[in-house]
Amino acid sequence: MMPELSTLVNVVFVVLFAPLLDGIERKVKARLQTRQGPPVLQSWYDLIKLLKRPSVEPSGSFGWLFRLAPAVALSSVLLASTFVPSLLARSMGFWGDLIAFVYLLALASLFLALGGFASCNPYAQIGSHREISLLMAEEFSLAFIVAGLAVSAGGLAFSAMFPLPLKASSVVGVLAFAVMVYVSGARVPFDVAEAEPEIVEGPLIEFSGRSLGLMKLTAYVRRLLLFTVLLNFVIPFGGVLRSSVYVAALLVLSAVYAAFEAYFGRFRTADAVRFLKRFAAAGFVCWLLAVLGW
Amino acid sequence: MWLSFSLFILILFSLLGLAALLGLSRRTSWLPALLSAVASLMILIAGVEGSGSWRAGAPVGTSILASLSSISLGVDGLSAFFLIILGLIGLCSSIYSLSSFKHGATTYRAAYPLFILSMFLVLIVRSLLWFVIFWELMTLFSQFLIANGREGSRGAALRYFCTTKGAADFMLLSVVVIIWKLSGSPAYSAISSVLPAYMSSHRLTFVLISAGMLTGLGIKATLVPFHFWVPDAYTSAPGEAAALMSGAMEKLPVYMMFRYLLTFSPLSAPLGLAVAVAGTLTLFFGTMFALRQTDSKRLLAYHSVGQMGYIVMALGAGLYLLSRGYTLLGSLALMASLFHSLNHATFKSLLFLTASSVYRRTGLRNLNRLGGLWKVMPLTAVSALIGSLAIAGVPPLNGFVSKWMIYVSTMPSSTVVSLFGALALFISSVTAASFVKYFTTVFVRPPAGELNVSGEVPPWMTVPQWILAALCVFLGVYPYLPLRAISRALGVVGVKAPALSSFPGVVVPRGLGNVAPLTFFVFMVVLTSILLLLVRPVMRLPGWTTGTRVLRETAMRLPAGSYYASFEEDFGEVYGFGAAIRRLGLWIVRCVGGVARAAERCSADMNGMLIGAFVGLLIFVVVLGRGVP
Repeated sequence: MMPELSTLVNVVFVVLFAPLLDGIERKVKARLQTRQGPPVLQSWYDLIKLLKRPSVEPSGSFGWLFRLAPAVALSSVLLASTFVPSLLARSMGFWGDLIAFVYLLALASLFLALGGFASCNPYAQIGSHREISLLMAEEFSLAFIVAGLAVSAGGLAFSAMFPLPLKASSVVGVLAFAVMVYVSGARVPFDVAEAEPEIVEGPLIEFSGRSLGLMKLTAYVRRLLLFTVLLNFVIPFGGVLRSSVYVAALLVLSAVYAAFEAYFGRFRTADAVRFLKRFAAAGFVCWLLAVLGW
Repeated sequence: MWLSFSLFILILFSLLGLAALLGLSRRTSWLPALLSAVASLMILIAGVEGSGSWRAGAPVGTSILASLSSISLGVDGLSAFFLIILGLIGLCSSIYSLSSFKHGATTYRAAYPLFILSMFLVLIVRSLLWFVIFWELMTLFSQFLIANGREGSRGAALRYFCTTKGAADFMLLSVVVIIWKLSGSPAYSAISSVLPAYMSSHRLTFVLISAGMLTGLGIKATLVPFHFWVPDAYTSAPGEAAALMSGAMEKLPVYMMFRYLLTFSPLSAPLGLAVAVAGTLTLFFGTMFALRQTDSKRLLAYHSVGQMGYIVMALGAGLYLLSRGYTLLGSLALMASLFHSLNHATFKSLLFLTASSVYRRTGLRNLNRLGGLWKVMPLTAVSALIGSLAIAGVPPLNGFVSKWMIYVSTMPSSTVVSLFGALALFISSVTAASFVKYFTTVFVRPPAGELNVSGEVPPWMTVPQWILAALCVFLGVYPYLPLRAISRALGVVGVKAPALSSFPGVVVPRGLGNVAPLTFFVFMVVLTSILLLLVRPVMRLPGWTTGTRVLRETAMRLPAGSYYASFEEDFGEVYGFGAAIRRLGLWIVRCVGGVARAAERCSADMNGMLIGAFVGLLIFVVVLGRGVP
């Protein structure tokens, strides 16, 4: 199949499947907490409802930046989804590599925070401070993992990294990356920026209607893409088998992550930062192993 | 060349000399700025052209003084690349000063064109001895730009001058040693034909000369133990001077480092590693300290230190990798270093100009008190946003492309250098955080108290900001042009630039990395515009504060100092370590002062002084002169 067509299929798959995955996670969490839980399609229903409603702008806000933020955040994650192979193995791989992927996700976080600042709501500002603090701590851990994986694979392009060679460093790196996927997805102990009971959704507080819908979709797509990169590191084969294994693994991963999420309370910002700072040791081990050639 | 090189230099001298003379009078203050702008444009054209040479006089004899009797000027690929930087930044800051020159002191207006002229001469001169002389002139004139009559500017200027003067002395020492060793010729061509072979067989000389050269250059390049002059100097210099100094002057040591490390000295892994470590320390500590600043220009100054760290780290990594046999990665890192020099010049000058515009309109640099300026200064706000995103390395702007090249060239090598790349990746997010703070505190959130702002700055101040902002986009989206100039520059210092395909995307062979900034740009612009049309808000309502009655808009805002408090607290060791380094620096200054005072006391005794000088010279001769035939 032509790469353009296959990329289109991938992007459509990502957009359609990401909210569904969130619905599944909500179901799993509800069951673990002995609740009935919403239907699996609930996240989609919510999104459709939001996208039908017009948005409201707070009167004190920095107008165009407030409007720009959700649009830039969503387009940066969608851009990432064009070059990360998801359902089909062929994609616009020459558009970007792992660094571009990391930066595009950071760009989405950055504009989420900027949107919060632009709304000029005090709660949103607190949330945005937290979002950025967490982003820095996250990158501290992630940087060593990326370096370790790059040494291990001998390059940062997806052609070199997908799949990773079978070495001790890759195994440690992939496990550490799995933890970063959890953190980066703003899942429960690390959702300090949104923190509903405390600062009422943080940066998102003033977003409503369509712009809130775009922000939500950004978060779902972001989680799905993080899973996708993790799976691409390990899935060694192509073709139909790859697609089916990929979808099955996505479901399993999201169930596992949701299960973890159901058992945690939220961290304070300082705790989250401290955890990530210490977790950098895992990335460092991965890098050390890779440099030693293991 | 479009006109002969000698004529070109003559016109440039007369333009800038006239500008300096006119600067002495207070009446036509825009004229020197205009002349400087024209001269900068000529420098830019000469850089793009990239060729030409001129010499006068002939050396008689082989003594050091004799070699001053001739001067040879010329442009090659490497100096052409830095001339482009100088021309661009000079042009923008001169346009900016068209309407700001009238506030400056007389010495300031006279020194400004001469500063540009001396930087130009530093770049085109072809002999090390003349290089040091013009370097000193450059330091002298830049000192007048700092001491411009504002409060505290004299102290800053003195500190700056003493520090960088020391730098030049270090360099002068090594330069004289080089010339002495080579019996007479300070010309670049002569040095590069003799010195590498000599130094690879005389390791101790190599170490000493390199230490002297790199310390001298490193002080000007704001490497970390020597960065203490930067914040005060850039805070007290006016915006256009700070832009010129941080954009263009800081790049000149990089120019000489390229020449020295790649053509004068043999390739050596330990030297490359030392440079890379210095760069990594600089980028780490410079940026981590920038995160804590609450003064707009101090924040920018510390970032300028951090970004120089990126440049020097990539240079050292490139040398190290080349000498370890990673040809592709090494030459790519050198390309990245040059590319980041150009990019840093554009976005840091832009940011200094925006900070200066804000200062001119509000009289404030304090980020705790500023705020909400997007309403009154929308043009400055947009250009500041573009500059902030570019320095934060947001794709597809220029900062991203050069940082990406740094990561791709360092990370995949299975050496310690890949750890430096990882630290650079982390620091990039700290930079982003810091500029979120800069942008939001100045332009977005409500100010603490009423600000007395008289509207947007005049068009002559917004135009250069917009030129630089456009460059930030253009250099990132279309890296083909700068990369071609960089290949030419690397060719001069004997490094074969890797054959990257740079259009439409930059692809590094062997699966090292690939990115397509142009595609990113088109995709983002198209999709963002579509989504913007979709989300157009229908009404404006007051913000929701969970029912709390907010009496004053400012009652619930965090001060700029506690933006990332929890993060800074957890990385407290960094700041502790930095403070220790600072104490060490102060201790060294005190010790040197003590020695100087002791020497002063001894100087009453003529014989003792002479004996001391003789013994010192003897030690130098014995240590450095081993193996002189």
